[in-house]
Amino acid sequence: MPTLTIDGRTVSVPEGKTILEAAEAAGVRVPHFCWHRALGALGACRLCAVTVLDGPQKGVRMACLTPVQEGMRVSTLDESSWNMRRSVIEWLMANHPHDCPVCDEGGECQLQDMTVAGNHAVRRQRGRKRTFHNQDLGPFIEHEMNRCIACYRCVRTYRDYCGGDDFGVLGSRDRVYFGRFRPGRLLSPFSGNLVDVCPTGTLTDKTSRFRARPWDLEEASSVCPHCALGCAVIPGGRYRELLRVRADPRPQPNDGFLCDRGRFGYGYANRADRPRQARLEGRPGTLAEAVAALRERVEGIARQHGPEAVLLLGSARATVEANALLSLWARRLGAADPVFDLAARRDGAARIFARAAPALRATLADVRQADLTLVCGADPLAEGPLLALALRQAARRGAAVRVIDPRPVPLVCEAERLPLAPTLVPEALRFLAGGNGAGLSQEVLQPLAETKRLFDAARRPVVIGSAEGLGPDGVRALLALVAGASRPDRDAKAALLLPGPSSFACARLASAVPNAQDLRRRLGGGKIRAVVALEVDPLAEAPPAVTGVIEKAELFAALDYLPTATVGRANLFLPSAGPYEQDGAFCDFAGRLRAFARVLRPGTPILHTGKGNHPPRTFSPDVPGGDAAPAWEILAEILGISGGLSGARAEIEKAFSFLQGLAGLRADARDERVLPGGEPPAPPGAPAGPEPAGLRLLLSDPFVGWEPLSAHAAVLEVLRPEDAVYLNPAELARLGLAPGARARVEAQELSEIRVARAADLPPGLAWVVRRRGSALSRLPAGEVFACRVAREEGA
Amino acid sequence: MSREVPRVLFANRRPGLTASLAEFERGGGYRGLRRAVAELSPAEVRRLVADSGLRGRGGAGFPTGVKWSFFPHDAPPDKYLVANCDEMEPGTYKDGELILADPHQLVEGLIVSAYALGANRATVFIRYDYERAACALERALAEAREAGYLGEHILGSDFSLEIHVHRSAGRYILGEETALLNGLEGRRPNPRLRPPFPAQKGLFGRPTNVQNVETLACVPHIVAHGPQWFRGLARTPEGAGTKLFGLSGHLERTECFELPIGTPLREIVEEWGGGVWRGRRFKACLPGGASTPFLDARALDVPMDFTALEKAGSRLGTAGVTVFDDRTCMLRVTHNLISFFARESCGFCTPCREGLPMVRECLARLEAGRGTLDDVDWLKEQVPRINLSFCALAQGAMGPLSSLLALFGDEVLDHVGRGRCPLGEG
Amino acid sequence: MDVLDEKTLSELAARVRAYPYPREMVVDVLRAIQERRGWVSDEGVELAAQLLRISPLEVEEVATFYDKIYRRPVGRKVIHLCDSVCCFSRGGEDILKHLEKRLQITLGQTTPDGMFTLLPTCCLGACGQAPAMSVNLRLYGHLTPEAVDRILEEERREVSP
Ligand SMILES: Cc1cc2nc3c(=O)[nH]c(=O)nc-3n(C[C@H](O)[C@H](O)[C@H](O)COP(=O)(O)O)c2cc1C
Ligand code: SF4
Ligand code: FES
Repeated sequence: MPTLTIDGRTVSVPEGKTILEAAEAAGVRVPHFCWHRALGALGACRLCAVTVLDGPQKGVRMACLTPVQEGMRVSTLDESSWNMRRSVIEWLMANHPHDCPVCDEGGECQLQDMTVAGNHAVRRQRGRKRTFHNQDLGPFIEHEMNRCIACYRCVRTYRDYCGGDDFGVLGSRDRVYFGRFRPGRLLSPFSGNLVDVCPTGTLTDKTSRFRARPWDLEEASSVCPHCALGCAVIPGGRYRELLRVRADPRPQPNDGFLCDRGRFGYGYANRADRPRQARLEGRPGTLAEAVAALRERVEGIARQHGPEAVLLLGSARATVEANALLSLWARRLGAADPVFDLAARRDGAARIFARAAPALRATLADVRQADLTLVCGADPLAEGPLLALALRQAARRGAAVRVIDPRPVPLVCEAERLPLAPTLVPEALRFLAGGNGAGLSQEVLQPLAETKRLFDAARRPVVIGSAEGLGPDGVRALLALVAGASRPDRDAKAALLLPGPSSFACARLASAVPNAQDLRRRLGGGKIRAVVALEVDPLAEAPPAVTGVIEKAELFAALDYLPTATVGRANLFLPSAGPYEQDGAFCDFAGRLRAFARVLRPGTPILHTGKGNHPPRTFSPDVPGGDAAPAWEILAEILGISGGLSGARAEIEKAFSFLQGLAGLRADARDERVLPGGEPPAPPGAPAGPEPAGLRLLLSDPFVGWEPLSAHAAVLEVLRPEDAVYLNPAELARLGLAPGARARVEAQELSEIRVARAADLPPGLAWVVRRRGSALSRLPAGEVFACRVAREEGA
Repeated sequence: MSREVPRVLFANRRPGLTASLAEFERGGGYRGLRRAVAELSPAEVRRLVADSGLRGRGGAGFPTGVKWSFFPHDAPPDKYLVANCDEMEPGTYKDGELILADPHQLVEGLIVSAYALGANRATVFIRYDYERAACALERALAEAREAGYLGEHILGSDFSLEIHVHRSAGRYILGEETALLNGLEGRRPNPRLRPPFPAQKGLFGRPTNVQNVETLACVPHIVAHGPQWFRGLARTPEGAGTKLFGLSGHLERTECFELPIGTPLREIVEEWGGGVWRGRRFKACLPGGASTPFLDARALDVPMDFTALEKAGSRLGTAGVTVFDDRTCMLRVTHNLISFFARESCGFCTPCREGLPMVRECLARLEAGRGTLDDVDWLKEQVPRINLSFCALAQGAMGPLSSLLALFGDEVLDHVGRGRCPLGEG
Repeated sequence: MDVLDEKTLSELAARVRAYPYPREMVVDVLRAIQERRGWVSDEGVELAAQLLRISPLEVEEVATFYDKIYRRPVGRKVIHLCDSVCCFSRGGEDILKHLEKRLQITLGQTTPDGMFTLLPTCCLGACGQAPAMSVNLRLYGHLTPEAVDRILEEERREVSP
């Protein structure tokens, strides 16, 4: 560890680090543009000039490119390097349009900061400035090339880090241009990162264009609610409107990057049709009235008909606190545990994984550092997009990526794929763990043996599955594989993709009884009289048999902030606060509790109330649409728990020992607590039914369109694919279907959708990607159904 | 005409003609190669080159033997050798002349050097505008292949080599060796970060040696005649070999001559160049291409070798000598040179992309008599700062600029004082 | 109109296949297209991308870097007049004026009959023959106004005898 001094401060950093990194460690900020923590050094901007006073190469050096040496003495304040930095700013500003007043970056612009820091106040350059035409880059990113300083961060992010190939550097000399071949939407699902990495106003967030000055935004450290990965975000809002989401620049967990679903999917919070008013039997009321009614009626029904008449539905997208309080309520009522996931297979898988030893659960950082990754029965880009990005980083560092899945799972890195029927994936995992591969054909065993060799040789392998893809049997095999492979010199880990930001905690809260499976039995008994849906939309997600019963319940209560089908049908409605409108905690896919802080208070955006007029011309002490409260607050009230969030958390800790530490979490300090493992639930008594004969249907959810929050964000509409059924060429021929034609797909539900070709889908499989709200969206993903596919008559 | 000089590289050169394989062989061609594969190990060839004192002819003048000692000759294939015939620096046209006159010089140079380095593939990178030279070279390669000098088991030895020709599409920066490698790979030809050096990770990540055409052409002669002979060709003790001097600018005779290293500038100007044109007087010259600092008349007796020119405040560079007569406005010449560098900037780093155009505008102002003393001060500040560019292109541009300010500062100030060019009519 | 004829296309495809890294051929493919079509259109870029199995953007990144890949239509013959220091110091600017007068166009323009496009170039490597220019890869040195007139005449005649 060489020791050196920078501006008089002494610091020791590992061999191979640069002066710039050492300075960061010493708390000295060296100005820079092209260097980026996650992208590394490039040497293009030449702003990071420092003076090496003592060392092998004395004189002005680029801090980002100069490795540290023992005994080096470095100055950032020396006149020669200071002069260099001044000149770099002068050069960069020579052609800058000076349009800061109308620039969305203004106020958080590194170029502005450096211009001030470099004392550049007088423009010496005369003559015309260079100008460029901008490109329409689609609905997310605004392009203003005249502001560009050619730091290359955008291309390096888009191409190298994110794996896109439709954005790059064009032209040369003093006319380098960053853009596309032709104008049009950026195709990478990670395009929004351009906004964060661009140090100027060249690439800004189009979804919030001209809506606020950055210093007027209310911002807070938060956690992305769009999947279970728990990426760190900093949302910003103003005038009761959520305006943007940016990545928290700190390295963990998501390395400062986000997917476009998490970044641009915030529009659900501002919808004009967002339910903001409590409703009792169709009549508007106050939230207080609704809370009282909820408690009285549920308690009344439980008294009158017994606690088995009460069905509580928890939710992967509600906070850990709300779900825990719902469980507590069930206990107090003597009712069954809430049902946290209506899809039995996924639910069962999650509950096994949530009890695995913490050391076996991989984080995103583990995936980025892995030297081998196996993706089995998971679609990371759809189920946890940043995981796909983490896989790419592993691949960039030389890790092999193998996919075992029947579907042509899209990734953003090179991967080798073994197409395997879904029911065979658990057996493949057992084979990798040393099993004999019973039931696997020779042509599968051969590549699998090769994968096993790779796996056995890897020092930091990570095996990735998804709850819906693997099911309980698959998750058991997954955990057995990594547990068996972990040794002192070897760190094998598993990751399981779960549907929502609280899924892990919900799976832990759910008792060992397989209760989603239980649900059918309970519903079948016809005893259910009260249903409480906590931020969940059973009418859109549950199969018809279940929804039929729920709809007919005497009390059908819903707490939510989305205009769902359930909210529309409920006879008691309580408006709850959205994720960025409250303090609370989620629990990520590795079982780490992740606290977040309120960004803004719920309320109808001034944009809606004032019809664009601001300030409003009428005044009242109440915030319009501001009745909504965090779901945990509503439930605490019902349970008679006082003391706000800390009071609620204290009660929760008392009731659920595995949630110890919840009360101490702080959002901005990035505190996290890892949930302990536990006794895994016993395998279900009834074995899985026989594999259906004939054509089998497998359902998946796309990147955007199924996940409930982004499904309610209008700006993401362009990313929502049309429903499609994929068949392999032989199957297409057998059924007399052509790609692009329309077909009727029948499996419990009937749907007419587009036909597409998937070259190496296993035979006998019809694979459907569906969006929320379409007929097939009520069948659970991952499960295999018997189905019929036929040509659409009259087409 | 002028005195007797050794003819090594231009031994077979005849006006307007390209030497055939037969002519080349008659003049002793491929003797170096025969000797190398029959009698010498690769290490021995490297030793000869190191002892010969050969320095790179592409501009930087780096000792070739030292460069070769860094090359991992024992590494497994593939290893590449690249001949750099980008030759786009104004004032430089010797490599084109060499290939057109006698392309087998380069072919033999490549084969012997590849043998010495253990390279199994070679590429000649040739600029867009040298189509005639590219065709001549392709013919020579075919002849060499036919004669067994190239291909599998060269001259019955264990050594095999294939040589490709890559035609570029016009940009000076491709002469920079790492930009050239990007260009060969079909990527944007920006220079690469060093380390890793091409010898470690070059073309497609493999060890690669990039060498100037003329440097390569010297190698077989060294092998055939020995390092002492090569050193003896020069007129200064520090120098070694002959050099192709491409004359241009205000001379009576602007041709390319092969002369011993260390030939005094005055002899080049007055004897070989036939003196300054139109009976005028020598004012200044670029001694080694557009990126070398100007020399004025005080330097006329400097021997043209690497060390002496460095002492005189300039560089031998590519030895393309561009002479300016006494009616030339040096500010105007510098303006032209900076325009070249600004236009040829790859645009990757800030000093070059943004700084050079600003310098160009500043020079234009001064040239037009609209400049101020502040402009002159500003120009002086620019030199050390633009010298901190990513690659040597912008640093090259600072050669003429710094020497303009050092040697012709009064002329620059005169433009400010008079509000017009002191040499022009207006 | 197809960017390239079948034969050229299959030849190029075969060469691409022979390379371990197809993108190595990007300049060759662009030059081949330009040789047949005079310039490289958007369709040309897309065709190159297809041949080389990279995205059109990746081709465009390279195409827009080089000066002698024309991404806009040019005349049947492209005149590149050297404006670097050796030609400049020996009357290059006068040759430019003469060319502009003869062709009635300025730098960057194409004659109305589509015959000539006039562009500057940096040093052609013909410093000993300054001033110099090239017309479709054919080099002309020691230019004088009279020589230029003769060259234009001959070049024109070559196209339309
Ligand atoms: C901007 C720039 C242009 C260059 N152009 C050429 C060139 O045209 N030919 C050449 O041989 N070297 C050129 N060089 C030098 C090469 O980078 C490299 O040093 C040289 O090819 C090495 O060969 P040598 O050691 O035989 O001279 C150039 C360097 C720079 C920075
Ligand atoms: S100095 Fe910078 S911009 Fe200029 S050519 Fe080199 S890398 Fe490119
Ligand atoms: S940060 Fe070092 S050159 Fe840009």
